[in-house]
Amino acid sequence: MSTMQATASRELRGKDLITIGIFSAIYLVINLIFHVMGGIHPIMWLMMPGLIAVFASVPYLLMASKVQKPFAVLIMGLITGLIYFATGMFTVVILITYAAASVLAETVRFITKYKSFIGNAASFVFYSLGIIGSFLPLWLFKDSFFAQISQHGVSAEYLSVLSKLVTDGMLMVIILVTMVLAIVGTLIARALFGKHFIKAGIV
Amino acid sequence: MAGNGKAENTTCFDPRTLLLLLILVNIVVILQNSFYVELTLLVLLMGLFLYCRLFGSGLKFVLVFGFLLTLQHYIFPAAPQIFADFFSILTAFLRRVFPILMIGKLIVKTTPMRHFVLAMRKWRLPEKLVIPLSVTIRYFPAIREEIKHIRDAMKLRRITGAAKFEAYIVPLIFSAANTADELSAAAVTRGIENPAPKTSVIELCFRFRDYICIVCGLVFALIAFWLR
Amino acid sequence: MVKFHKVYFGYTHEKDTLRNIDLYIEAGECVLLCGKSGCGKTTVTKLVNGLIPHFTGNGHFKGTVTAAGMEVARTELYELSKKIGSVFQNPKSQFFNLDSDAELAFGLENIGANPEYIRKRLKTTTEELQIERLLHRNIFTLSGGEKQALAFGSVYALNPDIFVLDEPTANLDGDAIAVLKRQLREIKRQGKTILIAEHRLYFLTDLIDRAVYMENGEIVRIYTRDEFLALSDEQRIRMGLRTLQANALRAPDAQVRESGHVLMIKDLCCEIKGNRIFDHVSFSAGSGGIVGITGNNGVGKSTLLRCICGLTRERGGSVSLDGKPLTQGQRNKECFCVMQDVNHQLFSDSVWNECVLSTGDDCRAEIEAVLRAFDLFEYKNAHPMALSGGQRQRLAIACGVLSGKKILVFDEPTSGLDYEQMMAVGGMIKKLAEAQHIILIVSHDMEFLNCVCDRTVVLTLNCNGKEVRNA
Repeated sequence: MSTMQATASRELRGKDLITIGIFSAIYLVINLIFHVMGGIHPIMWLMMPGLIAVFASVPYLLMASKVQKPFAVLIMGLITGLIYFATGMFTVVILITYAAASVLAETVRFITKYKSFIGNAASFVFYSLGIIGSFLPLWLFKDSFFAQISQHGVSAEYLSVLSKLVTDGMLMVIILVTMVLAIVGTLIARALFGKHFIKAGIV
Repeated sequence: MAGNGKAENTTCFDPRTLLLLLILVNIVVILQNSFYVELTLLVLLMGLFLYCRLFGSGLKFVLVFGFLLTLQHYIFPAAPQIFADFFSILTAFLRRVFPILMIGKLIVKTTPMRHFVLAMRKWRLPEKLVIPLSVTIRYFPAIREEIKHIRDAMKLRRITGAAKFEAYIVPLIFSAANTADELSAAAVTRGIENPAPKTSVIELCFRFRDYICIVCGLVFALIAFWLR
Repeated sequence: MVKFHKVYFGYTHEKDTLRNIDLYIEAGECVLLCGKSGCGKTTVTKLVNGLIPHFTGNGHFKGTVTAAGMEVARTELYELSKKIGSVFQNPKSQFFNLDSDAELAFGLENIGANPEYIRKRLKTTTEELQIERLLHRNIFTLSGGEKQALAFGSVYALNPDIFVLDEPTANLDGDAIAVLKRQLREIKRQGKTILIAEHRLYFLTDLIDRAVYMENGEIVRIYTRDEFLALSDEQRIRMGLRTLQANALRAPDAQVRESGHVLMIKDLCCEIKGNRIFDHVSFSAGSGGIVGITGNNGVGKSTLLRCICGLTRERGGSVSLDGKPLTQGQRNKECFCVMQDVNHQLFSDSVWNECVLSTGDDCRAEIEAVLRAFDLFEYKNAHPMALSGGQRQRLAIACGVLSGKKILVFDEPTSGLDYEQMMAVGGMIKKLAEAQHIILIVSHDMEFLNCVCDRTVVLTLNCNGKEVRNA
């Protein structure tokens, strides 16, 4: 009686690649819903990474559970960044931030050996930082940007308020808030996993 | 990416041209500050739109840009301070990234999925990236259909507010997992895992218009850099 | 061409799905695999095209399977796919591309064939299969039958020696099945080997050379074509097989008893994005009556159902209950639809909770009664998605019953069901009618409609709703 080997190899096969593609699509659709809902004011943009992280954890974690192999998350991040970039939704900065975030996430997965939910959840916390590239240009080109808006009727007090917002300190706060909300997202996903996906046997 | 009743087989520009332009426009947008550079760029991009016969979209962009300018120059100074404060950042940001939005729209409207994927292959991106990318693009319309069906089913049952997220995401995920299995089976039994380089029936080659575009783009970027 | 030698296989280590399979298929033969749901016919097809072991992994396997000169377990899937082509059940999830031309060329591009050769091959495929109307189209605009024809074309383009088909007609209507039959006839003429697992048998009777009847994972008997066709109806029903003859709609036996509530559809018109889907459809249905709605794919049956349920707005005409015209929202409240893909309408984490969703918590006794009637009580704590397809469908119907809504509407309830399951669904629906629900069924399954419906409305293209027979 020969036992067939489970696909224990670390190589991504056709089924894995297609799984990554499909769940990346769901991840993007959830992101898109939030962009459409909250794109009105830059203050909302700053909250976007956190809000998205709460809800988009499900497709990410499902994919991570199904494809317990290296580079799955990196591919997802590159796809996300590429689609954001090629559709003109965000600048090229998004590609860089998603690439960086997915490398961090991959490292976490590597350390936690791909199999544990907690490991995947931790990797998601880093992965969710990728979307910060959407408003990062505001930080990177602060001066020229402020110069432009001050020419068009923005009050001096508001400008100073804004100046205080667009700082390194604020960026740290956003990153921290995003990471905390990403943890919340993984808790929600954990609940859904237990209630539905594990129970029905698809993970 | 174009999704009408008939599949397009020829693109207006090679997708690689548009992507290169996108990169160049990104650089220009980051570097430049001058209103004239901004305006010239927009006029050139409008030229591309007209060349590709995207009259409706072109018009929309013109109107929106005009609206933004009007806001900034006439309405904000005259309106209550709060109004200007609230919307000025959005307006400035939009104006700044406007060219990027335009090229993005151009790519989405004139590049069928097949050509985009071929362009990725021509640039020698690894199959491990190209295959999932093409699946992602292919699955977007399917998600839209799924959501429609789920919403219909929800109308016939009593699903309250908080449970709505769960009611959408759970069937969506199950359906996705199922489709992943079935689609993979159909793909591997048609040789998708074959390590030999994949060929293509359609061809992508740079035409005269592509070279002109790229050269103009480079020249423009250089001028913008120099004028900085 | 295909050889199974003492094959044993199980998806898990504890249980054997297939036992002692010995089968030899000659080149150019067309062999049918038939039997009740779960008999193992799909598993057999997977062993031929290599999905087992390469795709499924995990499990235990004994014996050898060779196909087209290759030992399946030892040959890579992409090598196997050059000689063995596979067509699956679900038209929606087989296509990899967004446009039909790319899909036809998909297999050939994957093997790295010369573009000139691919173009020639595509031209031949289009001509020989007569699929010109499928070219240059967005796949999402194709009907289910067209998608399946495209899938077949995509496999045909690779010119394999063996064609493996796993219930390809599960979601197809009469016309689409005729197209498939034509395509199968063509490849048979070319001397290809065909292995087809199917429930719907009537279209295969003059194509097959042999029929393999399976039960519980074993081959019970292999019939020659003549022997198979000579089966009496009684034998066939005992074996759990569907009819071997093509069915046309028949006149009803029983008198229609319509009393109680009356649903009246009058001059209903529907449009989607400016396209008129159907026009001036009129019929009525009463409590205790079962009305079937049929017609070819694309003619608007599903849209009609959705309109009646209030999920789509009507362009003209009315839907009235007991003389009172209903708005969309009111129709939502009165109708329950068991959808074609019930997975879209199951939301809970257990069978019990799914029922509670329909009724509220305080109807324990009622829920229990319904679950027992539908044979689902022992699964009350199971997750709906862990159930089999047939069980999920029964759950959806149970929820409909528990919702207490007067109008129950079924969209293709018998896709992919074997004979016994189809009769079970029919029996359930008849009981629901006796319980004074108003029942509408959309189906292209003639065998089923003849068993169950009192009256049938045939929708033809360009809009008419024509009654085939009257009360």
